Amino acid sequence: MAAAKLHISDLHYTYAGDRGPGVTAIENVHLSLASEDFVSLIGPSGCGKSTLFNLIAGLLVPDAGVVMLDGTSIVGRPGSVAYMMQRDLLLPWRTVLDNLVLGPELAGKPLAEARDRARNLLHRFGLAGFEHAYPAALSGGMRQRAALLRTILCERSVILLDEPFGALDALTRASMHEWLLGIQREFHRTMILITHDPDEAVYLSHRVYVATARPMRIGGIVDIDLPPDRQREVTLTPAFAEHKRQVLALLHEPAAAGRRAS
Amino acid sequence: MAARGPGLPRLGARAKNVAAPLALMLLIVAAWEILVRALGVDSYILPPPSDVVAAIYLERALIFRHLRVTLFEIGAGYLLACAVGFVLSVVIVYSKAFRRGVLPLIVASQTIPVIAIAPILVIWFGYNDIPRIIITALVAFFPLTVSFVTGLESLEPELINFFRSLNASPLQIFLKLRLPAALPNIFAGLKVASTLAVIGATIGEWVGASAGLGYLMAQDTQQINTTRVFAALVVLGVCGIVFFASVSLLQRLFMPWVYGHMRLPWRRRTELSVAVAKPAA
Repeated sequence: MAAAKLHISDLHYTYAGDRGPGVTAIENVHLSLASEDFVSLIGPSGCGKSTLFNLIAGLLVPDAGVVMLDGTSIVGRPGSVAYMMQRDLLLPWRTVLDNLVLGPELAGKPLAEARDRARNLLHRFGLAGFEHAYPAALSGGMRQRAALLRTILCERSVILLDEPFGALDALTRASMHEWLLGIQREFHRTMILITHDPDEAVYLSHRVYVATARPMRIGGIVDIDLPPDRQREVTLTPAFAEHKRQVLALLHEPAAAGRRAS
Repeated sequence: MAARGPGLPRLGARAKNVAAPLALMLLIVAAWEILVRALGVDSYILPPPSDVVAAIYLERALIFRHLRVTLFEIGAGYLLACAVGFVLSVVIVYSKAFRRGVLPLIVASQTIPVIAIAPILVIWFGYNDIPRIIITALVAFFPLTVSFVTGLESLEPELINFFRSLNASPLQIFLKLRLPAALPNIFAGLKVASTLAVIGATIGEWVGASAGLGYLMAQDTQQINTTRVFAALVVLGVCGIVFFASVSLLQRLFMPWVYGHMRLPWRRRTELSVAVAKPAA
């Protein structure tokens, strides 16, 4: 593989306990992403996936390990990658447009320029006509699209997506998937998606990392061998089913092993 | 004209909201007037409303001279309470040690009856505005501080994490996140304090002053000039209501995401309300 866009190796993180030893959340995690890669991280809920994202985003500092972006360490340096959290976290007191330019605004970049860029993308993100509305007037899907546009406008090459579609209904979610694939190609971003939906992981990704729970390790990797410009119909093919089977097998393996051991 | 369509029913609803208490008040005043006259109650015990209105009009020069003094105390005391409350709440929110040390003292200060320390303040600062401004502030600052603190802490930790992920500075987190998120609570405190400031200034004047509506009322009570006591009371009450309403108006102006943009006569309908109206179409 060529020089990695984002390279993570030997990552360890332990939450400090009040008394006694802390809880190990992340153990020996390796991830490597090429530029414009789309990988998913799937695992049981509460397995430490969000902790991993907080480490990559610089909000937490690992006990050991490397996080390199374009060959430079970004350990403990917030703002190096863009991070879209589970909830849309739109600020209710700002209009949609003012929410969208929050990243450039906090970075001290020229606001007028950022607003122009946001305005030009409103249509692509299904928000045309809503730039002066408050978030309360938006539907769930629109809020997520606004949150993603805000993340895109942070102008970071790597985007972390923490279960962005978890709260949406199945139909909205399916349409958001196709749209997200288009966005990723159009804006040349490298994306890591946290999910616990195997269909979502296989449909969107070039590669799926399957995580084990407590402490979190990478239990297996499934390379997704589907065309990059895939359509919804691909989910009905035998190849898709086979990939999904592999992911599910890896997901259930540690649990089965645990049962055998007891 | 189509633009006024959606505005009209809301205006009607608001008129109803105002009409109900107004009608009730008129009813009470009318009953008061009729009963006092029918039963022949002496005016030093309970003057009829018409006499009170007449007193306000006839003695307007005197009443408004005293009102000016009281209004100044209310304004200065209120601003002092806001400044102290704001600074205290920010320090309480950002410093655990300060919170542990000072918050109990602030609560304790509220158990001391203001009426008891008012004379001491007069001894310290003399017969001028300062003790009365302090008393006004003392009465008003507590609910202010409490609601400021509640507001500044009402933030979800996720939002702070989100701002940190954007590499926001602590000052940016305060100005662009904590402060706007606290506005609903801040205005709740400002509203409660606006009524308390009127009470505080009156108490202050009652205890020791040479001017002001509270002073006038204390004098008139001793001279059993009940009609003028009521006249001062009504003027003071109207001021309190106007003060409260002004703060409410400020709240509407500062929080358009809750109340919508007000259709003020000098602000033309903009593309903004069109955008909000669209989802229905």
